[in-house]
Amino acid sequence: MTTTLDPPGGTGGVRPAGRLSGRRAGRLSGRSRAGLLFVAPMLVLFIVFRFVPVAGAVLLSLTDYRLSGQWSFIAVENYTRLLSDKMFHESLAVTLTYTVIFVPLTVLLSLGTALLLHQVVWRRGFFRGVFFLPYVTSIVLAAVIWKWIYDAESGLLNGILGVLSLGPVDFLGRAELVLPSIAVTSAWKGFGYSMLILLAGLQSIPRSYLEAAMIDGADSWQRFRYVTLPQLRPVLFFVLVIETIQAFQVFDAMYVMTGGGPVRSSYSLVYMLYDSGFKYFDFGYASAIGLVLFAIVLVVSLVQRRLVGRDD
Amino acid sequence: MTNLLERPKLAKPTEAPRRKEQPVARLTLPTLLALTAIVTVAPFAAMVLVAFAPASGRTFPDALNPARMTWDNFASVLSSSDIPRWTVNSLIYSLVSVFFILLFAAMAGYAFAKKRFPGRELMFWAFLATLMVPFQATLIPSYILVSKLDWVDGYWGLIVPTLANSQAVFLMRQFIGQLPDELFEAAEIDGAPEWRIFTTIVLPLVRPALATLGIFVFLWHWNDFLWPLVIGQSGDMLTLTVGLATLQTEAVPINQVMAGATITVLPSLLVFGLLQRYLTDSIAMTGLKA
Repeated sequence: MTTTLDPPGGTGGVRPAGRLSGRRAGRLSGRSRAGLLFVAPMLVLFIVFRFVPVAGAVLLSLTDYRLSGQWSFIAVENYTRLLSDKMFHESLAVTLTYTVIFVPLTVLLSLGTALLLHQVVWRRGFFRGVFFLPYVTSIVLAAVIWKWIYDAESGLLNGILGVLSLGPVDFLGRAELVLPSIAVTSAWKGFGYSMLILLAGLQSIPRSYLEAAMIDGADSWQRFRYVTLPQLRPVLFFVLVIETIQAFQVFDAMYVMTGGGPVRSSYSLVYMLYDSGFKYFDFGYASAIGLVLFAIVLVVSLVQRRLVGRDD
Repeated sequence: MTNLLERPKLAKPTEAPRRKEQPVARLTLPTLLALTAIVTVAPFAAMVLVAFAPASGRTFPDALNPARMTWDNFASVLSSSDIPRWTVNSLIYSLVSVFFILLFAAMAGYAFAKKRFPGRELMFWAFLATLMVPFQATLIPSYILVSKLDWVDGYWGLIVPTLANSQAVFLMRQFIGQLPDELFEAAEIDGAPEWRIFTTIVLPLVRPALATLGIFVFLWHWNDFLWPLVIGQSGDMLTLTVGLATLQTEAVPINQVMAGATITVLPSLLVFGLLQRYLTDSIAMTGLKA
């Protein structure tokens, strides 16, 4: 350890070797005590508000804990109840459908805008800022605005459709349109983040690769398909994982825009968790739903991580 | 790749059409970019127009008539709802969280990066592992815990559980880890107290990282919905974001809802306007996700 050496003239004077090593040992333990003290506030917060709740979620899911605080151990009964709960199946289907719509939509939107920004040098900073703007607002704000945009009577979109003598279309009131409509809202709100990640990925592709392909006579599609896309692959996978995990946790937009309707056709997994907990105060059951969500998110990220690992 | 290699280098036929398509491309792409930008901004523009449109009559033509613009909706929504109170709650929630997360994350990051202590690796690994657990998965036990502490419907319950932020610790460890060890060792040998080394050497050196993290933590909390919804049960403890959601479920006219929405978005826009470049650069660098 070079750290225990005295700097020239640092402490002044020559010390007996014994005293130096004694001081060294004392300081090392002081260092580790200091380390523990510095980490202590965060450690306490993590233990109490992260680790305890994780353990608590597992334990709660094995009980029938109610609002009153009374509970008994019921083993896996909450999970077997989930398996036969039609509402759970439906909310799982809603969440999956939403994910299947939202992820391609948001990835294509962010890839498209990233490619545009990469190609067009004109006012790049300005446009990058514009596309990023919705991202700094809350999903609640996005939901409030878009709920009005979609409104069947006085909404912006139906106003435009009306001018074209089309509609009115009740975007949020029809079961087959509600999930795509919410997905568009969330994609609008969030694509700026993935766009920035992808843009950074695009900018890190060496120019010489593209120039070489150009000299070889590749047209712009071929350059994209055979140079840009393979180079962008790890970044794309990262964006895909992030957005998929995000999609599985959808709740805010549905709570604000539809209340889960019409007839639960936008009633997601987290919505069911929220209702089970804070409407029916069935805390054990709600915790079981939470752990299902955790398992899904874990599997998604492990599968996608494995896919990336295999390809690279 | 193979079909590219078969092509002759610098082939004449591919040169000519490319020169032709370029003037067109030079116009199409910026047009496309501008159109996309307009569509992106349109919902905000619509929000502001409706917020200033007169409450009587039809929203549509009126919203586009500058002569009929009015502040009435703002006055009505401010008097009929608790927006001032919600704003105070949101500011307390966001700013107090920013302060303590920055402080505790910098301390923990310093310890993880520069100190040796028993259990360091295990602790850091455990901190990181919580990133994999969606917040909603532990919503119920977190709520029960907070209610056992009798913190529901108060600032403590709102703020304290959100301070355990693994992204912040991770980021601070990365930044402090890049500082050369010699900086601290010289001070240590001179016998400077640990706390003074932290406040006079570490903190000033990681100021850019603190600023970046601070912006993110502010936006995370300002825009947060589910936790404030669950904790702030009485109207008094609602944040602006949750309050906005309740506004539009009650029978508040759309012009007033949009006026309220315009008010909630102002701080985010202010942060964004002042620090846009900083924010966008740091996402590309660190991958921080709000």
